[in-house]
Amino acid sequence: MSFYVYCVVDPIDSLPDETLKGLGQQEVSLLRLAELAVIVSEFAGNTVPVSEANVIAHQKVIRSLLEVTTPLPFRFGTLVSESQLNSYLSSRQPALLQKLDDLRGCVEMSVKVIWPTSERPRTVNSEDQHLGSGTAFLAAKKEEIVGDATIASKANELLAWLNSHLDNLIRDEQVTLRPRERLVLAAAHLLERERLPAYKNGLAMARAERAGLHFLLSGPWPPYSFTNIDLEFKSKFGVN
Amino acid sequence: MSSPFEQVVLQSDFDELETSELSLLETLDHVLNRGLVIAGEITISVADIDLIFLGLNVLVSSVETAQEVLRERERRESVGGTERLHTER
Repeated sequence: MSFYVYCVVDPIDSLPDETLKGLGQQEVSLLRLAELAVIVSEFAGNTVPVSEANVIAHQKVIRSLLEVTTPLPFRFGTLVSESQLNSYLSSRQPALLQKLDDLRGCVEMSVKVIWPTSERPRTVNSEDQHLGSGTAFLAAKKEEIVGDATIASKANELLAWLNSHLDNLIRDEQVTLRPRERLVLAAAHLLERERLPAYKNGLAMARAERAGLHFLLSGPWPPYSFTNIDLEFKSKFGVN
Repeated sequence: MSSPFEQVVLQSDFDELETSELSLLETLDHVLNRGLVIAGEITISVADIDLIFLGLNVLVSSVETAQEVLRERERRESVGGTERLHTER
């Protein structure tokens, strides 16, 4: 029997919803280990199928904790034995406590920006089709290099413009720019819960300025994009 | 029953995908790609329902391809049988 692990939270007395069911309709439990609280349920199998039902169950449990505290969510599919969980928590305790402290009271918002079809980067030049293969190759290369620089510049301008509306509202961000893709910008913003109304307002003002762009805003999420302690662990605590 | 993805997608002016599909992809994007990792203990299986997993990846790279994937999923759902996906919608 393994534990399916949902999230780590600051020590709490009880679950916000004692009737909450996890993956496979298993009862959700609160374990207190190494000055931390961990939300788990028992899991009988060896692997976790990526099904809508399982993904929904995972998200529901973590979301219920988000109602009362700031959880550090585990990635979907985390199965451990009790000894593995104990070992992880005791060895990572300082980093986890630090991360809980850093993220306390915060939520994550997700913003995705999609180029309108008319602004999509051009990848094939129809005029080049009449040229010889060598010339066409060189022309395509030139187009690629010049086009890449132009498109990258537009994407960076887009990011700067978005940040000009939100900079004073967010505490941290993770941004992915893909200038050649239609989904050009994906940003995860970390902000204090009480700033959510101002954040939404700032984003609405930004959207009104650039009606040609498509936006997808989702959240509030637990701080999924800001919880990974692995990169910070080695440098801060000197342990692999 | 209310949608399990209620309040996930707050605003979208992207009308090429249904809000429920966007919500699912957003959720997958978060729960599969991010979060704490205990090295070596992520043990997921996508063999039977790889279209959802594929849907996640293609949203990140290409919205058009996501549409193709979702259309394919609808086609498979309409066919039914063992490929039918379980939903709580």
